[in-house]
Amino acid sequence: MNNRPKVAFYWCASCGGCEEAVVDLAEKIIDVVSLVDIVFWPVAMDYKLSDVEALPDNSITVSFINGGIRLSEHEKVVRLLRQKSKLVVAYGACACWGGIPGLANQYSREEILERVYLTTPTTANPEKIMPPQDGYAKLGDVKIEVPTFLPELKPLDEVIDVDYYIPGCPPTPEVTWNAINVLLSGKLPDKGTVIGASNRSLCDECPLNKTKPENVLIKEFKRVVNYSPRADTCLLAQGLPCLGPVTRGGCGALCVKANMPCTGCFGPLENIHDYGGKALSFLASILDYENEEEIKREISKLPDVSGLIYKYTLPKSLLKNLLRSVRK
Amino acid sequence: MIQEPRVGVFICHCGHNIAAKVDVKQVADYAKTLPNVIVSHHYVFMCSTVGQELIREEIKKHNLNRVVVAACSPSMHEPTFRTAIESAGLNKYLLEMANIREHCSWAHSDKEAATEKAKDLVRMAVAKASLLEPLEEEEFPVSPTVLVLGGGVAGMRAAIDLAEWGFNVYLVEKNPTLGGRAALTGWLTNNRRGADVVNNLINKIVDNKNIHVFTNAELVEFSGFPGNFKAKIKVNPRFVNEKCILCGECEIECPIEVSNEYQYGLSRRKAIFFPFKAAYPPIYVIDQRVCIKCGECVKACQYGAINLAEQSLTLDLNVGAIVIATGYDPYHPPKGEYAYGLHNNIITLFQLERLLDEDGPTQGKLIIGGAVPKRIAFILCVGSRNTTPSSKNYCSRMCCTSTLINAIKIKEKYPDIDVYVLYQDINTYGNDETLYEQAGEKLVKFIKFEKPPTVDISPEGIVIDVYETTIQEEISIPVDALVLSVGMVPRRDQNELIATTRASCGEDGFIREVHLKLNPVEAPTHGIFLAGAVTGPKNIIESIRAGSAAASKVATLLSEGKVRTEPFTANVNEERCSGCRICVGLCPYKAISLREINDRMVAYVERALCMGCGTCSAACPSGAMQQYGFKDIQIMAQVVAATGGGIK
Amino acid sequence: MSTNNYEPRIVVFACNWCSYAAIDLAGTSRKLYPPNVRVIRVMCSGRVDPQFVLEAFKNGADGVIVAGCRPPSDCHYINGNIKALRRFTLFKRLLEELGIEKERFRLEWISAAEADKWVRVVNEMLEELRRLGPLKAEAVSV
Repeated sequence: MNNRPKVAFYWCASCGGCEEAVVDLAEKIIDVVSLVDIVFWPVAMDYKLSDVEALPDNSITVSFINGGIRLSEHEKVVRLLRQKSKLVVAYGACACWGGIPGLANQYSREEILERVYLTTPTTANPEKIMPPQDGYAKLGDVKIEVPTFLPELKPLDEVIDVDYYIPGCPPTPEVTWNAINVLLSGKLPDKGTVIGASNRSLCDECPLNKTKPENVLIKEFKRVVNYSPRADTCLLAQGLPCLGPVTRGGCGALCVKANMPCTGCFGPLENIHDYGGKALSFLASILDYENEEEIKREISKLPDVSGLIYKYTLPKSLLKNLLRSVRK
Repeated sequence: MIQEPRVGVFICHCGHNIAAKVDVKQVADYAKTLPNVIVSHHYVFMCSTVGQELIREEIKKHNLNRVVVAACSPSMHEPTFRTAIESAGLNKYLLEMANIREHCSWAHSDKEAATEKAKDLVRMAVAKASLLEPLEEEEFPVSPTVLVLGGGVAGMRAAIDLAEWGFNVYLVEKNPTLGGRAALTGWLTNNRRGADVVNNLINKIVDNKNIHVFTNAELVEFSGFPGNFKAKIKVNPRFVNEKCILCGECEIECPIEVSNEYQYGLSRRKAIFFPFKAAYPPIYVIDQRVCIKCGECVKACQYGAINLAEQSLTLDLNVGAIVIATGYDPYHPPKGEYAYGLHNNIITLFQLERLLDEDGPTQGKLIIGGAVPKRIAFILCVGSRNTTPSSKNYCSRMCCTSTLINAIKIKEKYPDIDVYVLYQDINTYGNDETLYEQAGEKLVKFIKFEKPPTVDISPEGIVIDVYETTIQEEISIPVDALVLSVGMVPRRDQNELIATTRASCGEDGFIREVHLKLNPVEAPTHGIFLAGAVTGPKNIIESIRAGSAAASKVATLLSEGKVRTEPFTANVNEERCSGCRICVGLCPYKAISLREINDRMVAYVERALCMGCGTCSAACPSGAMQQYGFKDIQIMAQVVAATGGGIK
Repeated sequence: MSTNNYEPRIVVFACNWCSYAAIDLAGTSRKLYPPNVRVIRVMCSGRVDPQFVLEAFKNGADGVIVAGCRPPSDCHYINGNIKALRRFTLFKRLLEELGIEKERFRLEWISAAEADKWVRVVNEMLEELRRLGPLKAEAVSV
């Protein structure tokens, strides 16, 4: 072995997009690989968990972990990686705040399993086979250990101590590269910092910001399913609930450049206590009606308020502990 | 930046007012256990000299840098305690009050529960106090100059009052003459005419060297903040100068003839004209909208008073305040409403006033359609109170009174004319109620309707059909002339004014006062005042009063020579701000704009305009905008403390 | 804590110019009401960030009231109350989606003179909260 920094990648409850994002570094990944030793990366390399277990504590320089914690297996592996790593980085929206899978925290474990295994329109499961919840499954005569489905999805830092956060769904190659440079620079920022991205909201770097009128007031919340935005004007000013103003910048306004409003995957800025609460506040503020009935009428056209404002951050909401308990 | 908090807590008994329901000693002991609290005392009257001295001594003795006083409502003694801590060398905004009297001891009967609540209120106050920062009021010198927009009775009255107090006044009127609509109003009560009132005011203005009159002039740009507004005035060319002696030769030669708006279209005038007998300045004027510059008037003028090459000029003024007194427009009925526009003998009340005025086109004779009518009717509430689809929903206040004054005038001059007044209600409020009696005595016939009458034009003339609700019968009234008593509506050009001055309009479309009862004649933007019918229908007396009221409000603002702003303004963290503009459109006072800093556009708060509501802070998606004294972290700390901070 | 002696806690954000003054007036005129409310003074209901309300619920408030001047035009700051109306109309919809009972949040217009209304609002809300029980499910079982 040599003295190059050891790096681990791991995925929890995620779609695989974050893994793709690492590969999207393209030729730069060769630079990365030449600078580090990758000691664990289940999606790409054939190391076993036992290889990690065999490493001394704190021997991994940095572990990049993506996805939220939804299975007992996730908990087990990330605890192990924490033990073996000097630094742990929550990589991507799911690891940072729960991400899209975190929206399922509005439902109980039983509701989710029932929905997924029995009642979706595309499910054919006449024998009503459900995943075992005692941690074991039988394969013929063999009893094997299987992960259990946890009561809720947790962001990484609610299970282990996290040093840095890289936001995005997924983080863009630029953000990833910036973050890697920060980590390799030797001058580490304060613990808990979001690295690689901007410290201002997306509007700061959005090419359409200058087309926004001084008075941003809208008469309706439009939706991309039935409205084709003009490419030359701020999407929010056109009535699309673009979350750019409340979302950390750093992505280069990729969605907006593709004529899609920002949905908030870079999460909140550091002094925001609740991303959704703040998103709600600014969106409602600019709804240009003075009369309650008119306001209600426009709001009623929004199909899914929690999905809009907490698309990536529901498990970090201030209400996170109250979601299940009050749900019938 | 912020020192380590050292909080002193002072709990007031308020005699028995608090102590009877709150165990003050227990609260004081509890306060000592709270984070950052150095000392805690209770005393019978904290607001007394001795109580205040106790606070001052303890500040010095323990080097306190934050003070919590748990006593009455801050609306009661916050200023007292601010002064007290200031005299002990602390910034006066390092005080937080816990309201344990109005919100606690006076409102609850159970001593144990009230004591527990008082502890919570103290805990909340300590939590906030620990995060308070010293705040500074800002002072700005003011310009002792006032811009009055509109030379009608309200504007003239405001200008005179202000000039008499010694302020420098620019009186700017869009039309070529002072006087406004009151000059055309004809008869008022007590046998006076609108023109008499206007003359009287004009004479005062002419005599006052503090008033600078600009007619044919308008406000084109307006910016700045209270005490220091910048106003750009465009003075349109009049083409006739002071050499004019009103001989009228020019007018005879002028080939262009148009409808005379100063007689509400009842007569015609030339392109060069003199608006009316009492017009000021007493100089002819050329209407540049219609003049063809043929030069005939120049040839006719022996005094060299006409210069067709005259250009407009602009004035840049620095003014401390502005009074908007731009008035109203009469409601103009659409063609066909009560047959308006379908018969020459159907006129508006404003036109009738011109006919009965001795300076009017008929020298006071009631000649309508070439003859004196034998039967004349008035229909009230035209354009008002939802009587027709294009009507407004408000009452225009002056039409009932004005109708009756003119009905009585007709009866005095022509006792044989039959006069009908068709009405829903007669709102001759106040002293004008006697007009109703007088009209009755003079045999004016009152016809009450609920459903607006219909007017038909037949070969015989005008016929009004109406269901009379007193006798409960459908009746038909043939008349020779019909007067529509139209109400008042916002000026057509009001939107330009709103765009320029940042005033805003209310639901009725008139310019809005901050609060009818709490802040009359004040526009929401500090330093802008409103007088007369620009805020809604008013009669001449009410408009003049509003002019005086606005003047006294201006004087209050400017007389100190400086304006001081509350420190609870919004403040932008320019590093965090992304220039997203959400705050800009939400500010009720247009205090926020964008400015460029290091090649980036970021929000900028004009502190003098910010009134400290905090709505921008609540919306700021970056958390970059924070209200001094009510920052997110300060309020959050109170919230956590209010809920027991997890120690429920 | 058993549900029998459960005392709901209500956090109130009150506009300095109207509702805060109405609460003062309730005290001044000795209109008694239960002591379960904790009032936080803000200059305008338009200052109330929905994050504050969420923070209150998170920390154990069973109910929250945002109180301001009556719309459309009583607001001391022209239309801060309208901003509050917009925000908290959407906020109510959010609570509904997240399964938090609508009785736990109220946006109330209470003018400086309406001490009676204040007392009525507090009593009504307390009654509803007692019926609902604590917001924190955990607290029920303790």
